[in-house]
Order: sequence, then structure tokens, then C-alpha cells
Amino acid sequence: MIAYLLTIVLLLLIAPLLPSFIKALKMRLLFKKPASIWQGYRNFAKLMHKETIVSEEASAITRVAPFLVLSPLLVILFFLPPVVHGAYYVSFVDAFTITGLIALSTFFLMLLGLDSASAFGGMGSSREAFIAALVEPAMVLTIFSVSMMAGDLGVGQAGVNLAAHFPKEHMASFLFAAISFFILLIAENGRIPVDNPETHLELTMVHEAMILDITGIYLAIIETASSVKFVIFASLFASLFLPFGLDYSAPVAIGVFMLKLFAIAAAVALIEVNTAKLRLFKVPNLLGIAIVFAFLSLITFYVLGA
Amino acid sequence: MGVDFLIGLFLATLITALFTSRLYRLIMWYSLNSLMLGILALLIGQELGDTAMLITGVATILIKAIGIPYLLKYLSQKFHFVRQIQPEVKVHYAIILIPAILVFTFYLAEPITHMIHGNANYVAVSISSLFLSLLLMMEHKNVAPKIIGFLSMENALFLLGITATDGMPMLVELGIFFDLLMAIVVINLLFHKEEVKS
Repeated sequence: MIAYLLTIVLLLLIAPLLPSFIKALKMRLLFKKPASIWQGYRNFAKLMHKETIVSEEASAITRVAPFLVLSPLLVILFFLPPVVHGAYYVSFVDAFTITGLIALSTFFLMLLGLDSASAFGGMGSSREAFIAALVEPAMVLTIFSVSMMAGDLGVGQAGVNLAAHFPKEHMASFLFAAISFFILLIAENGRIPVDNPETHLELTMVHEAMILDITGIYLAIIETASSVKFVIFASLFASLFLPFGLDYSAPVAIGVFMLKLFAIAAAVALIEVNTAKLRLFKVPNLLGIAIVFAFLSLITFYVLGA
Repeated sequence: MGVDFLIGLFLATLITALFTSRLYRLIMWYSLNSLMLGILALLIGQELGDTAMLITGVATILIKAIGIPYLLKYLSQKFHFVRQIQPEVKVHYAIILIPAILVFTFYLAEPITHMIHGNANYVAVSISSLFLSLLLMMEHKNVAPKIIGFLSMENALFLLGITATDGMPMLVELGIFFDLLMAIVVINLLFHKEEVKS
């Protein structure tokens, strides 16, 4: 139980660090002077002190929505697979619950974008809806295929099973599922081939367009929510597709897990440096590739058993 | 475990190659595809204790993963090829078509897998990659991607050779390499023709 709670607190603490780490690594790779990796915390502290101004046109939704964006994600943190062998975990929560909670959070984010009645907000919301709708089927297919390899529909239980019996005989379908999930990780978190988190250029914004009108504590909450979302996806990837290192003693196991999170962040940073942002109408192609790989994983598992 | 993983990477690189629309990127995917094949040959050769297969594995890596991609890139630079190669089959259709091909070939290979002991499902993967390379040849109009499709088809046959049989005679494989070199010479002629046409 202590390891369970400790992991959740650590994940929350590490959440602002990962996007800053990606940014610093990217700047280093582009031979720029890198930003500090503590920038996420600094931004948070700065936004907490700022005055909160809400648009006159905005209704009560703007005051409520940031909390409703963050809270489903915080709930998911409690359902993640365990990091340490023998730690407490929630076994009955399946992939559909987690996808649904993420969709709930996205729904309130889209409402927030629409509520301030600016042109950008609506545009960002429509784009986010477009991407989220395409992510859903691939996500369900992927996690379903992994659950079959693990022999349990519950995400926590699947993580435990995979760590206990790594599916050596199903390496091929495991690999396809991992590729598919990595594409989804990039798409859902608005990293570069899908959305550029750094610019405020009107043609490319998705996530930034929705939160353009809010400041202060609300903005701090939304930024935290997006970094928590990255942590959720990264730790799902780490526990479902890199299920090793759970057997060590608790501090070492948690350390290994954190290393895995940083490795995933580094992979995302490398992809961001190497690719250009896709046109919005080409995003379905990328997600289509994710769907192909997810389906391939299922069919390889079913027919070939490989 | 390692062999399964490499087979997965082999198929994954081929499928990604089907979606690319840039020539150099396509050549890179082909090179990675051949690299996976070479490592696979090395692994299986080590398992069987077959020296000939180890030699063919090294030859595959040297010729197909490094030599041919380099040569193709050099030729396409020399003849100023079109580097934007948009697939004729649109991605929306490819998303349906590729899983359909995979399902079809996986079931097609099923009767064969009963005849072979051991690595039965590799036959299915190699046959499906054969069909996918055929799709790669079909979906492009330019010569260069068609050639890469042809070379990937050769890769698929090579995979069938090393997994279905317990090691082909080395003479056959060397013969295939010479065939490939002949093909490259023919390709060179084709490139000349394409240049004259444009």
C-alpha cells in the first residue's frame, strides 16, 4: 500500500518534469542553449501567483472545466499497473474505463475551448474532437490485443501478468501493439507529428488554441493536466510494453520505472527533432497506420500465435 | 524470442514502407528491412550451427542493407529522380487493403504450416510480405519505388528460404545474389531509359 501511494505521489511530482525534459533535450539536440528542466515547476509557481482573469463572455463552465479536465486524469493515476512487485493495485479497471476517463477529460477541455466564444477556441476544439475520435478505435484495439497476450482485461492485472510471464512466444504481435501504442502516445499528447506544443501559430495549434483565453490558476491546472496525461501514457507504455525490473526491492524498482519514463520521453524528443509536423488532414493517415498495426497485432496473435 | 521479434520488425518496416511518400525514406526502410533479414539469418544460422547461413547473413547485410541502398541513392541522384512518390493507392484504401491482405495470406499459408515443423508461422509472414511487396510495386508509377518493391519481394523469398527449409544450399543463395546484381544492371538500363523519356 505504501509503494502504491508513493508511486502515485511520485508520478504527480514528476509530471511537470517530463515535458521540460523533452524540451531541454530537443534544444540540446538542435544546438540551442537548453532551457532548464525545472522550467515546468517554475511555470507552475508563476501561474499560481498570477491574477486570474476570465473573459466577460465566458459562462460558469470556464470556472468549472479546468478542475473537470484534471480530475479524471487524477483518477486514472490510481488505476495504473503496479511498479513494484507485490504492491497494491486496482485489478478490475479495464481499458475501456481508462479510455473513457481520458475522453471525459478531453470533452471538458473542448467545452472550455468553446466557452470563451473566441474563434481560436472553437477551431482548436473541433480539431481536438477530430483527432480524439480517430485515436479511440486504435487505442481500444491495441489495449485489447495486449490484454489478450496478458490473459486479463484489467489493465493493472495485465501489467502484473506481463511482468510475471513475458510473452516470449508472442514477440511479433507484442511488437506491433507497442508500435501502435507509441503512435497513440504521440497523437494523444499533441507531440510533433500531430500537434506542436511550442508554437502559437494559428494554423498549427490544437491544444494551445483551446487554452488561449485562460490565465492564472486555471492555466496552471490545465498545464498540469496535460503533463499528467503524458505521464499516464508513458507509464502505461512502460508497464505494458517494457515489463521488467519489477522484482527488485521497492526503491530500485521505482528508480528503474522512472528511468523507463525518461527513456520514453527521450524517444519522443528524438522523433520530434527528426520529423516535421503533419498537415491536419494527414493526421488520419498516421492514425490509420496505428490502426493497421493494432489490427495486425490482433490477427498475428489469433491466426499465427506469434 | 529474438527471431519472433525480428520477424515482427521485418513486417513492420515493410508496412511502413508502403505508407511513405519520399524516395530516400523508402530506400531507408528497404535497407532496415534487409538489415533485419540479415540479422535473422545470422540468428537462425547460429541456432542450426550452419556456417553457410552465417556467411549468407553477413553477405545480406553487406550487399542488401548497405550496398544496394547506397547504389540506388547514388543512381537516383545521378539521374535526378522525382523524390516525391505519392502512392497511387490512397492511404484510406491502403488502411483497409493491407489488413485484408494480411488476413488472406495468413489463412492461405495455414495448410502449408502443417507440413513444416518448427518455425511454421514464419512461412505465413514471408508469404504476406511477398504480397505486400507486390502492393508496393503496384501502388507506385515511378521506376525507383517499383524496383524497391521488386527487391523487397526478393527479401520475402529469402525469408521463406531461410525459415521454411533448414538452411538452403549456399550455392543457391549465392546464385540469388548474382541474380540480384544482374537485376541491378538491368535497373541501371531502365534508369537510362527513364531519363531519356523525361
